[in-house]
Amino acid sequence: MNLVTRKKLEIFVEAHALSHVERMLLNEGVKGWSVFDGVEGAGAHGAWRQSAVDGGGDMRLIIAVTNEPAAQKALAWLKDYFSDYRGLVCLSDVQVLRPERF
Amino acid sequence: MDIFGSVGSAAAANLLTPAILFFVLGMVAGLLRSDLAIPEQVAKTLALYLMLCIGFKGGVEAHRAGLSSELLASGALGLALSFLTPFAAFALLRVISKLDRTTAAAVAAHYGSVSVVTFAAASEYLRGIGVEFSGHMAAVLALMETPAILAALLIVGGNASQGAHNPRRGALLREVLLNGAAVLLVGSFVIGAITGERGYDRLEMFVNPLFQGVLCLFLLDMGLVASRQLAMSPNLQFNLLAYALTWPLLAAAIATIASAQIGLSAGDTTLMAVLAASASYIAAPAAMRIALPRADAGVYLSLSLAITFPFNLLIGIPLYQAAADFMVR
Repeated sequence: MNLVTRKKLEIFVEAHALSHVERMLLNEGVKGWSVFDGVEGAGAHGAWRQSAVDGGGDMRLIIAVTNEPAAQKALAWLKDYFSDYRGLVCLSDVQVLRPERF
Repeated sequence: MDIFGSVGSAAAANLLTPAILFFVLGMVAGLLRSDLAIPEQVAKTLALYLMLCIGFKGGVEAHRAGLSSELLASGALGLALSFLTPFAAFALLRVISKLDRTTAAAVAAHYGSVSVVTFAAASEYLRGIGVEFSGHMAAVLALMETPAILAALLIVGGNASQGAHNPRRGALLREVLLNGAAVLLVGSFVIGAITGERGYDRLEMFVNPLFQGVLCLFLLDMGLVASRQLAMSPNLQFNLLAYALTWPLLAAAIATIASAQIGLSAGDTTLMAVLAASASYIAAPAAMRIALPRADAGVYLSLSLAITFPFNLLIGIPLYQAAADFMVR
């Protein structure tokens, strides 16, 4: 099977920032991503949990598979973004079947 | 009976209403780590229903009463309280606590802004004891959500700009002016004011019989959320706890005196005091997360949601009503 290496970005952001980050991904050349709801967790900013109150405190996970240049540009943007706002980003290598899609 | 006796009996009667007891049940279940939970989407739907009812019924009653000088005076007083009290709250917090400037401003914004559920509980309390109030107080509630957030931004001033993304002005403006709660509350009020009796006749079976039950269910969830928030904040400074319990009394006293001065009724004065004493946990946190991301959300949420909200619900509401009754009598 012909597998090609691409980059997977896992970006965890507050719900209010979702459209802001999605716009950035589009601008930096990322062709596709999926968004998932966070249920609960804990980190440097303490524990959090999905709730009907505390608007904007919910977290979203964005998973994007892309090429190396787009991933690096997104990382540079996120490094700056996370100097102020809650969240994290992970970058890893993944093997894909149809590289032209990413 | 003296005022303390009447406050005591009113507080006891308030504690034994279903809505308050469901809140207590939620808190106890949360503290005992029960697996009782209201699904998030259900809780959000309940919150939307409550805001629709409060806004719509307020609009209908404003339609009945027409545009009055009392409405304008109440609105102006509400705006002034919401905008000005954060400056005093901020100064007090900086003196009594070790909070950094940004977190103190965010806390102040929460206490200048208002709690819709506390308002709903207070309205039900007044109905229960037969005290009349104006429908337009729902509009005052909507007016008081935002000015405190603007006041916090003024307090922090240039310090808000900590990075290239902060503040995200477009997102902040959208959050402040177009957050879902504000849009539904104001929108429902306007729909109620436009449709009046005709609209009320059509929606009466939706907005009236279910309201108490939905409020109970939402307060059950609020009890669970408040107890969880309390469990997540074991290191809250004593000074901040004292602030969360005494600031509502101070703000309510200012609102009560000012309301009596401009001639509001005892019911409206009570609701104005409740609004001034309550702290936001929906609109303000959402705006602060965007505008002041370095403020400690654990502090402002714990104070407003886990301390001040239960205090107002259990003790504050009958106390503010008794004070309003005493002042306006």
